[in-house]
Amino acid sequence: MKALRAFGRIVAGILRELSDENAYARHLAAHGRKHSREEWQHFCNERFRAKYTKPKCC
Amino acid sequence: MAEGTGISTEMKKIAGCVLWGLISAVAAYFLAGIAIQRDEPVNSMWLVLAAACTYLVGYRFYAKFIAAKVMALNDQRATPAERLRNGHDYEPTNKWILFGHHFAAIAGPGPLVGPTLAAQFGYLPGTLWIIIGAVLGGAVQDFIILFCSMRRDGKSLGEMAREEIGKIGGITALLTVLLIMIILLATVALVVVNALKGSPWGTFTIAATMPIAIFMGLYLRYWRPGKVLEVSVIGFSLVVVSIFAGQWVSKSATVAPWFTFGGIALAAAIIIYGFFASALPVWLLLAPRDYLSTFVKLGVISMLAIGILFVQPQLVMPAFTRFVDGTGPIFAGKIFPFCFITIACGAISGFHALISSGTTPKMIAKESHALPIGYGSMVLESFVALMAIIAACVLQPGVYFAVNAPAGIVGPTEQIAAATITSWGFPVSAAEMHSLAVDVGEKTLFHRTGGAPSLALGMAHIFATGIGGKAILGFWYHFAIMFEALFILTIIDAGTRVGRFMLQDLLGHVYKPLGRTSWMPGVIGTSAFVVLAWGYFLVQGVRDPLGGINSLWPLFGIANQLLAAVALCVATTILLKMHGAKYIWIPLSPLVWLIVVTFAGGWQKIFSPLPQLGFLAQASHLEATIASGAMTAEKIAETQTLIFNARLDAALCGLFLVLVTLILIDSVRLWTRILLGKSEAKVNEAPFVASQLRAEEI
Repeated sequence: MKALRAFGRIVAGILRELSDENAYARHLAAHGRKHSREEWQHFCNERFRAKYTKPKCC
Repeated sequence: MAEGTGISTEMKKIAGCVLWGLISAVAAYFLAGIAIQRDEPVNSMWLVLAAACTYLVGYRFYAKFIAAKVMALNDQRATPAERLRNGHDYEPTNKWILFGHHFAAIAGPGPLVGPTLAAQFGYLPGTLWIIIGAVLGGAVQDFIILFCSMRRDGKSLGEMAREEIGKIGGITALLTVLLIMIILLATVALVVVNALKGSPWGTFTIAATMPIAIFMGLYLRYWRPGKVLEVSVIGFSLVVVSIFAGQWVSKSATVAPWFTFGGIALAAAIIIYGFFASALPVWLLLAPRDYLSTFVKLGVISMLAIGILFVQPQLVMPAFTRFVDGTGPIFAGKIFPFCFITIACGAISGFHALISSGTTPKMIAKESHALPIGYGSMVLESFVALMAIIAACVLQPGVYFAVNAPAGIVGPTEQIAAATITSWGFPVSAAEMHSLAVDVGEKTLFHRTGGAPSLALGMAHIFATGIGGKAILGFWYHFAIMFEALFILTIIDAGTRVGRFMLQDLLGHVYKPLGRTSWMPGVIGTSAFVVLAWGYFLVQGVRDPLGGINSLWPLFGIANQLLAAVALCVATTILLKMHGAKYIWIPLSPLVWLIVVTFAGGWQKIFSPLPQLGFLAQASHLEATIASGAMTAEKIAETQTLIFNARLDAALCGLFLVLVTLILIDSVRLWTRILLGKSEAKVNEAPFVASQLRAEEI
């Protein structure tokens, strides 16, 4: 049961990392800001600028 | 007490030896089993167990040896994620979360399509190369490049090539990446075109993903900012609804023609899509589609693994087919070197070196994590390739060849094609193929080159055996097509955008405004240029009477393997600087193999006298046909384009070989100077800083 919970936490962590939700939480913490529509848009602009200048794997 | 501990340690050692001896014996038994078995169909579990045990042995002994002796991974040393932590790129991340992130980044269509095509040689050659190539080559490359980048503050492959080898290395790496991207985008776009040709169900489903992605983009931007997982669940539900709606569309006499297109129309649609996706704001279409396709990709790969484990299908494809002699209908060329070139990413991929020197090294919390992330992820990718070959080989060989062989080889009508394939010893009838097409909701399954439809058929067969049976075979087939097309289109839009940035960066040196990513004329012009570059090869593939994949996939395979050669040159140089000649055999062995394979393949693709294999021979053959006077004026113009294309492909292939020869000469020159003591073996690692990171922080 404990192992199953740990596995669930890892899967949830992977999903949050892939969805950039973890990165957004880090962004808010790093800048000491609160979540808002403007903040999310600001984060996306920065995140996507970095993310989509690298080729995706084949 | 001390004696008891000693006995306990000794017992653990013996138990470990027994366990690993057993795993090694199981690996040897199953590998021998699949290699020797000839009389009856082999169960897919033999392949799964042979692979799993070989991966475990490779990881426990070879990878751990590299980690301990060659890299001397040290958890006391702070990684770039800790030293340069900024809450953005550099962030210490949990090992298994980063493993998932890295695997999602390296898993593309290559390990699915390549093995499917290579199944034309039978299940055995591809299977052995996928397992052995990954354990000794691909995973080693990914692991060493990840390690090198991690010790150099997360530097990219190009930067490392320039620093460690020289300017030529850096420029060659950049040019190779640009060219490989153009060929890659054209090849994967052709896979989608061939999967959707004449298929209203498939075309409707894929078309529907575009408004769904835009809806997701708006939802995230304005309605529920930051709720990516929530909107991805909504997006996935809508995609599933669109698959069911696609079935209705395909049966409607009024609506079906709106979504029924030929190859050229679909190619044009994808080219236009690529242009808009590259020029539109990224949050509107590209990013939401990327989220969706990543989750769908991981979900479907997991489903396929579970499906194979539960269903345990029999492989009906023989171990070897008659096409090992080079006369294959899907692509020409003998088992050596073309099996290895075709499998590509399933065993070793140069593109992975770009990921291993991209985001991942900036997120590793402890040095020891590089082992499961670098080596382990590639081993998992190899397992994905193995599942693809299983999915292709559970199909009756006659069906497999009927789907994948082009009309130019097997004949234009269903009856002639079925007769040709049956005459090769793989019985199939037009009626059987028609019945299968009806079951999956398609008009025909003949001449669907590119690998995607046959992979989708194999996956649908496995899924339907597990859930729903024949009644929902059509749903599973289109679900698989949707999955393949969705993430291929993500590669196309992201790749076009990256190509645009690279080009803008380059042109900015000539005319400054062109380098500004906010200057619309520059954005539009460079997007159009990149789209037209890969679009040209796409249209060439669509028009090719031999199906296009015959020429484009080997070109892509050669380019990708040559990029791996560049990465292994960097790896060899760095290990040589670290330890002298002692451990260079580790990257040098796969490098030598890749050089032999890709140069043999490249040479044959350019100079083979066989028109179905050599680009120049193909051009000469077509010229001779025109000269014989047996063609109409209309056909002559079309053939002249084919002649030009064959020569262009030959030139491109030659350029790949020249680029890699350059970096190879540059590397060998440097290695010789280092070994002779004429050059300083300077290791350019970041200085040691003691790690302060606590376990609970990761």
